[in-house]
Amino acid sequence: MAAGVAAWLPFARAAAIGWMPVASAPMPTLPADNRQKQEGLIAINVSGHKFQTWRNTLERYPDTLLGSTEREFFYHEETNEYFFDRDPDIFRHILNFYRTGKLHYPRQECISAYDEELAFFGIIPEIIGDCCYEEYKDRRRENQERIQDDEDSENQNEMVPPDMTFRETMWRAFENPHTSTMALVFYYVTGFFIAVSVMANVVETVPCGTLPNRVKEVSCGERYALAFFCLDTACVMIFTVEYLLRLMAAPSRWNFIKSVMSVIDVVAIMPYYIGLVMTDNEDVSGAFVTLRVFRVFRIFKFSRHSAGLRILGYTLKSCASELGFLLFSLTMAIIIFATVMFYAEKGSTASKFTSIPAAFWYTIVTMTTLGYGDMVPKTIVGKIVGSVCSLSGVLVIALPVPVIVSNFSRIYHQSQRAEKRRAQKASKAAGQALVCKANPMFDTHHNHLLHCLEKTTNHEFVDEQAFETSLLEVSMVKQASCSSSMSSSSSNQGLSCCSRRNKRKNFNVPNCNMTGGHRNSIQELSTIHIRERHIANSRSNLNAKFEETVPLNCEHPYITAAVITLPTPPVTTPEEDASFLDYSQANIVRVSAL
Amino acid sequence: MDSQAKRVETISARLDAAGSSTDSVEDELELSAVRHRPEGLEQLEALTRFNRKELQILYRGFKNECPSGVVNEDTFKDIYSQFFPQGDASKYAHFLFNAFDTNKDGSVSFEDFVMGLSILLRGSVQEKLNWAFNLYDINKDGYITKEEMLDIMKAIYDMMGKCTYPLVKDDTPRQHVELFFQKMDKNKDGVVTIDEFIDCCQNDENIMRSMQLFENVI
Repeated sequence: MAAGVAAWLPFARAAAIGWMPVASAPMPTLPADNRQKQEGLIAINVSGHKFQTWRNTLERYPDTLLGSTEREFFYHEETNEYFFDRDPDIFRHILNFYRTGKLHYPRQECISAYDEELAFFGIIPEIIGDCCYEEYKDRRRENQERIQDDEDSENQNEMVPPDMTFRETMWRAFENPHTSTMALVFYYVTGFFIAVSVMANVVETVPCGTLPNRVKEVSCGERYALAFFCLDTACVMIFTVEYLLRLMAAPSRWNFIKSVMSVIDVVAIMPYYIGLVMTDNEDVSGAFVTLRVFRVFRIFKFSRHSAGLRILGYTLKSCASELGFLLFSLTMAIIIFATVMFYAEKGSTASKFTSIPAAFWYTIVTMTTLGYGDMVPKTIVGKIVGSVCSLSGVLVIALPVPVIVSNFSRIYHQSQRAEKRRAQKASKAAGQALVCKANPMFDTHHNHLLHCLEKTTNHEFVDEQAFETSLLEVSMVKQASCSSSMSSSSSNQGLSCCSRRNKRKNFNVPNCNMTGGHRNSIQELSTIHIRERHIANSRSNLNAKFEETVPLNCEHPYITAAVITLPTPPVTTPEEDASFLDYSQANIVRVSAL
Repeated sequence: MDSQAKRVETISARLDAAGSSTDSVEDELELSAVRHRPEGLEQLEALTRFNRKELQILYRGFKNECPSGVVNEDTFKDIYSQFFPQGDASKYAHFLFNAFDTNKDGSVSFEDFVMGLSILLRGSVQEKLNWAFNLYDINKDGYITKEEMLDIMKAIYDMMGKCTYPLVKDDTPRQHVELFFQKMDKNKDGVVTIDEFIDCCQNDENIMRSMQLFENVI
């Protein structure tokens, strides 16, 4: 816990005197104060740089090297100080963590050196303050990616592990053409055939002179129909074989079928097979011709060969909403101008603007500053509208384009960062669950303070779940409520309850940072509160037992231990244990005195 | 003490002259520009019953949380609320603040803080009871009325929060106030004077015992 709250505990306790005259019950006795009153300076020598701090400062975090007895291993008798043979510059930040409760990451330090120091001194990186956390995580990720890349490139030059199955080898060959010569050959062959197929589709439509017995010019496709058909067949053969091989080698066939590339593959080869199956029916062949258009999708097969295409596709996908909005606003503008144009030109004779949809074409051509000239306004009003249209077109088209470009990069980076932050938050929450526990002495005294308040008002703190169950049950026996609250709090070693503001599932061990947010501090103290309640509940049971002489049906180990013997304590954290023992001992004395 | 206070006043007066609007931002600026340096250790030692070491420890903790050297009411409420996470400690903190802010200037300086603590931790029982009476007597007229006591009682029960066993009902504070007055108000005139209060407390063993509770807090 940071200096702030802990230092004010004496004040809070002193102020509790204000409750004494109105208290309805006698106050609980003080917990045993077995703190050694060592208020001294500790000298720490880190590679020649001398640091000094109060002993109490270091002991705030008893889970770290400096805060625990582990530092005794580094005690140097001759000079009466603690000597560490580590980096003094980074040590400065570690010592500041003890002083202020916030761990900062210095940007000029190497991330791995910093990590090593943190690991040495027993400090978990997850408690780095918010100001430096993002930077720290970014650097760490970069570093790990770099290491990963190095490893990958090493792996690629390695020999294939001999125990890979044939299927895995094949898949690896498909995904990484550089792994073996066969894969490379396959890669280039398929690339070549994609190119050939696309070129064939293009050349098919070029006019190729006339047939001997015809007058009209025919396209090459019709002239050399057989040749093109053979070429097409060959390409489709290759593509089909490739697809089937990939399907066979894929580790997860269902995932492979769902993937975009496989869909493109299928769409590229389907028209051929459909054409084979279909008869030379007049009606159907019209539709069949349309299908051949899909052959152009073969060009998308190049995206397996080009990473750039993949990135472009991804960015388009992630900017879809921005593009959609641009399209929408353009459509609005087009409709407005087309309508105005139509009504403006309605009067003129032989106007090309026969309907509003017809005027759409004019508007689009004008706004994009193409200006084909196939439709021109003749009336003066029409010309005015036309000029306004072209001017606004410049604005409407030219302005969003840089915005979209910057949107691309912004959205791209933002989505990366949002994912980053989500991942960071998850690991941060997980890490903070392991973070150092609070100062035990503070806990004891704070518990005692809360207990004094309970005695003043003659009410007890309960956790929220028990509170809700007590609301539901109208008539309840006191033990039943006790047992329900006990059992609910006894699960999870008594750490599963919550304060009014916390939900049951997010249990947070105290965050050692006082990051200034009120919420944070509430969460911190809620655990203290939880421990307190644990004791309080059990104490209430003690009182119930002695004062009301009602048999307890709680099976809580605390109760049995405390009441019957002085414990082999149940499984708890040591601090809780010690404080509870003291409490129980003291309390047993008190209770019997009543 | 007076010179310090005067220094504080002149600085804030200057700032006030500069910008006359009572913006909250300006208030913050004012407070952060005000740098209060406490009296020397010797004077404080003379004024309070703490020794040097204790004063040093107290000041270090105080200064850490309030680098400017004074606590305003919001910070005070914030700090105090952190000890009572389940309830709302702001009302009680308000009364506490008024009890500590003896010169009624809206901020608690280190001297106020330390003198209050000196009474609470090292004072005689008479002084502590005096302090408690002062806390309860909200308008400082020398009498505790039932309304004042009810305010205080509600503030205390607010600190318990919602999740208590048994439930805090609406008239629980009032009942508690009735109990208090039954015990303390000897002549049944509806108010408790300082003498009645001290008399009654001194005769009550529990209260006497609990007054000694926090002697060794520092």
